[in-house]
Amino acid sequence: MVRLITHNLLACHVRGCTANNFPLVFRDVQIELKEAEFNEQFLRNFMPKIEWRTLVDTAKSLNDQSLPDQPPERENVNEEFLKTLHHVLLEIHVEEGAMACPNCGHVYPISNGIPNMLLQEHEL
Amino acid sequence: MAKKYLIHFAIAHGEFRYPELQSISELFDFEIKLPESKDELDTSLPFLIVELEKDVHAQFIAQRCILVKAVYELWVVASSKEELHHRNHEISCLWKPFENQSFRFDVTAINHTIPMARQRDIIEDFAYMDYKGDIDMKNPSVVIAYFEEYPKKNILRRRNEGDGQFERVYFGRLVTESACRHLISKFNVKRRVYYGNTTMDAEISLLMANQALAAPGKLVYDPFVGTGSMLYTSAYFGAMVLGSDIDGRQMRGKNTSIPGIFQSAAQYEVLDRILDCCTFDITRSPLRRGNFLDAIISDPPYGVRAGAKRLGRGKQRVVEHPPAQNFESTASYAKVPYELSDLTADLVLLARYLLKKDGRLVWFLPTPTEEYQDVDIPVCEGMEVVANSEQNFGKWGRRLITMRKITSTEYASPSFDPEQRMQELGGNITLNPGHKDFREKYFARFKRIEDAETYIPTRD
Repeated sequence: MVRLITHNLLACHVRGCTANNFPLVFRDVQIELKEAEFNEQFLRNFMPKIEWRTLVDTAKSLNDQSLPDQPPERENVNEEFLKTLHHVLLEIHVEEGAMACPNCGHVYPISNGIPNMLLQEHEL
Repeated sequence: MAKKYLIHFAIAHGEFRYPELQSISELFDFEIKLPESKDELDTSLPFLIVELEKDVHAQFIAQRCILVKAVYELWVVASSKEELHHRNHEISCLWKPFENQSFRFDVTAINHTIPMARQRDIIEDFAYMDYKGDIDMKNPSVVIAYFEEYPKKNILRRRNEGDGQFERVYFGRLVTESACRHLISKFNVKRRVYYGNTTMDAEISLLMANQALAAPGKLVYDPFVGTGSMLYTSAYFGAMVLGSDIDGRQMRGKNTSIPGIFQSAAQYEVLDRILDCCTFDITRSPLRRGNFLDAIISDPPYGVRAGAKRLGRGKQRVVEHPPAQNFESTASYAKVPYELSDLTADLVLLARYLLKKDGRLVWFLPTPTEEYQDVDIPVCEGMEVVANSEQNFGKWGRRLITMRKITSTEYASPSFDPEQRMQELGGNITLNPGHKDFREKYFARFKRIEDAETYIPTRD
């Protein structure tokens, strides 16, 4: 893992780092594409929570251009769109590398698919 | 038009029965009417008579309620043989529709064994029903069930003593046997690829997933995920799950390139549904928003087997250099103890922030038996207690608390700050709940402070 759906929920919380702390920037990534079971209900439920611009840009930074710049209106959300969204949110895994804060520079390492988001004492 | 059904329950975990039934009825959106008298609701009894609209609702119950062994359409309940047959004649419209189908007639007793000869007599007594279908022991179209319920045997009796002197007799048609009790074995921790000393047992983790209303389309989070026991069962029921823990080693296990949690998830074929597991402290959480979860399930650290800690500055001066290579070990991060009554209050506040409206918080509250009171449960505006089931271990126990977010108000993230916590909770909270300083009480074996010589408060 670190899937893009999770990345879309993570910001930097170093003490004092409150502006430009989202999204975190991927670095030195090792990507794996893994198929996941398509769950339409889950995607529809989660869509309103997505920071869309971030998702599109982050996907592009990982060489995936499939998402539109704007999400479709509710009535126009069709299966084809959801399948693309499914792929970007759930099937791109950042297994190794790191996420860095564009504001304070803190680096959150990712190892075996688990990111370490703990803070040092001076950052609390 | 509601019909009467008979639920046959497993004997264990009595306090969890009705909350589980209620949760499943809410999940599948059907009505279930329970009896009102305390006697009928006694959870030491194996049977319960309920009202449901139709058979398919009984199927839902059998699909998800792990404490239910079987559900029957109840035709007659009586306290004597005469009453049974008298009533049975009156309700022939219920059993006549099956008279041409292949059938099997099961005769069983609870807390007793009916001698073979009388079993045959019992079946003979129903000859007036005139069932014309073939008797099929293996694959009948309909199973007719007859139960004699005897009082629990308190003293040694000879095998057939008191035969025929049952308290109640039930007669009906099997609608469905359990379709989920096999999961207790499937998720048995002993057969799990990765587990630890804080791993929750299978039966309880299944009950918790039901209390959380885990289902396809939902997003469930465990903020003290440890070895993942709460994730697998929710994922199995179709939810997507997220986990976090302050200790990365708990999620990874030792010396392996695939984290233990993912290995167990793969074993249960739910790896797909684990969105992610992240190492972080909920009091310094990187989550950028709230109001997006359908449920939070957790067994928070009591401080007994797993040290309850949070990131925090020690009394010594600030240390500036970066962590050692082994950055996953929390030993290289500054931490302070996280006392249980603070932790549990923060958990409720965190749930209010992260849950969507109607979302559920399902968690265990450890309680010293003598000291516990209902007011000890931390509540705040916007969160309501839905269920409270105790597992009693003697001097202490733990209570599975189910809470629901009843408002659509979007709250701010909790401060996790001792100075502000009281205010965030709304002020009406017990200052010294029974579970305060639980760790110290546990190691003092729950002797009261008055026993001064034996109570030695310890802090690490």
